Amino acid sequence: MRPGALDRDQRRFSLDQLLQHGLNAIILGGTYALLGIGLTLIFGIMKVVNFTHGEVYAFGAYVMFALVMPLGVNFFVALVLAMALGILLGAAIELLLLSRLRDADIDTTMLVMIGAWIAMQNTEQLAWTGVAHSIKNPFPPEPLVWGALSVSWNRLFVFAVASLLIAGTYYLVNWTKFGKALRATFQDRDTAALMGVRIDRVNTATFALGSGLAAAAGALLGPVFVVVPTMGDLAASKAFAIVILGGLGSVVGATVGGFILAFAEELGSGYISSGYRDAMGFVLIILILLVRPTGLFALKERIS
Amino acid sequence: MLTIENLDCRYGQVIAVSGLSLEIAKGELVTLIGSNGAGKSTTLKAISGLLKPSAGRILFEGVDITGASPREILARGIAHCPEGRRVFPQMSVEENLEMGSFLRRDAAGIAADKARLYERFPILLERRTQAAGTLSGGEQQMLAISRALMSRPKLVLFDEPSLGLAPNIVERTFDIIRQIRSEGTTVALVEQNAYAALELSDRAYVLEQGHMTLSGPARGLLADPHVQSAYLGTSDAIPVN
Repeated sequence: MRPGALDRDQRRFSLDQLLQHGLNAIILGGTYALLGIGLTLIFGIMKVVNFTHGEVYAFGAYVMFALVMPLGVNFFVALVLAMALGILLGAAIELLLLSRLRDADIDTTMLVMIGAWIAMQNTEQLAWTGVAHSIKNPFPPEPLVWGALSVSWNRLFVFAVASLLIAGTYYLVNWTKFGKALRATFQDRDTAALMGVRIDRVNTATFALGSGLAAAAGALLGPVFVVVPTMGDLAASKAFAIVILGGLGSVVGATVGGFILAFAEELGSGYISSGYRDAMGFVLIILILLVRPTGLFALKERIS
Repeated sequence: MLTIENLDCRYGQVIAVSGLSLEIAKGELVTLIGSNGAGKSTTLKAISGLLKPSAGRILFEGVDITGASPREILARGIAHCPEGRRVFPQMSVEENLEMGSFLRRDAAGIAADKARLYERFPILLERRTQAAGTLSGGEQQMLAISRALMSRPKLVLFDEPSLGLAPNIVERTFDIIRQIRSEGTTVALVEQNAYAALELSDRAYVLEQGHMTLSGPARGLLADPHVQSAYLGTSDAIPVN
């Protein structure tokens, strides 16, 4: 065999590998973006650092588990229900906790949210024990193969639903009257109130929407990985990283940030060390923030 | 049309307005003048519902609107054009106008009003899709005024409309306010540019440290020695404090 042929095969092999990593990253990025968009909307509108975000994500996964496994509810029906319950849970957190803290300082609000986070996580442990559960999915077990690339049907489904939800959120924020009220409140709360926007309702709706997206991400990824009570912690820290990376309050930033994080993790674990998979994204974020401390898509404003 | 009785407003322990009573009749242009911190903006915020008064009553067309939400007050016909213009910076000019008609349901009427305002301020039409935050100060002021008019108000509250604008734009702004009044809308104006405001107004109230100290026809106040020395800078006397 000539040495050149081997070279070509090796190159071929590494190109395939790169493409496979890229494909995995795109698929993972969709759910990261979902998580990030939910969190950035809540921070942007309400200026609340939402420590319950990861728990709402875990809640979505547990609802999926409880409905599909013991109760035998149809997978797709369960997914819709998990999202709907996530929205309700978000509305409940806002109405029961945050709406009473409107005039409280940021430390108080943060402490309350940290308390809620701990309480929710322990409730999950109490209800479902600390043992990891897996959720059966209805997709064919053999992956979809295209040339040297392969992707599981379940992950493809996750990506499709995440994309739909992201598109739906963009539509809602940019093209509906509710979206206009949302953006106006984000940009100038008092003036939005002067236009007739009910700020309280915008707050509740935003928190419910953001939580719904987090629950959807959990319900989508639950069947891909396993469900454990601490699953929300890593999801929350990743969501925070995505939001900081993209620029606080920027929906576009959170979307792009989600994909950047996924690429960093996927390529970092593939080419550097898979043991540091979860650290890769954070390292990249530190590097990016050194160059752009306000995040990639921080809003420009005229100060005068 | 608007009656304020014994209004008290505070920010925590700080009293911003105390025992203020005033009256604005339908079709009038009334100015509140006074130095920084006299309580002028606070009074407007209490009228539009941004601030809950700690005591006193505010009546609009005979209805008690004290402590009502900004939404209810806007729905009754009071628009507040806030200090510093406060356009929504990342929304387009068009979206800003649409926020002005947020409570309205009549799509045809909204479109007609938008068209009329674009005709009146061609620069806004030209910048229709541009983010409002990229407009110049004068353009933002035209937008803020237009946005307030989009609700078809009976009474418009203007808070320091001349603040931070070039002199020719200030003149233009006052012209517009005069026009709005001549079209039948009642106007309440808060201004530090006392001379221009008094020239424009029917009547005026002078606020000092939360209290009303003088009131009367604008022409009379222009000639008042205290007003001249304290706010118009036309007298030789140097105002104390």
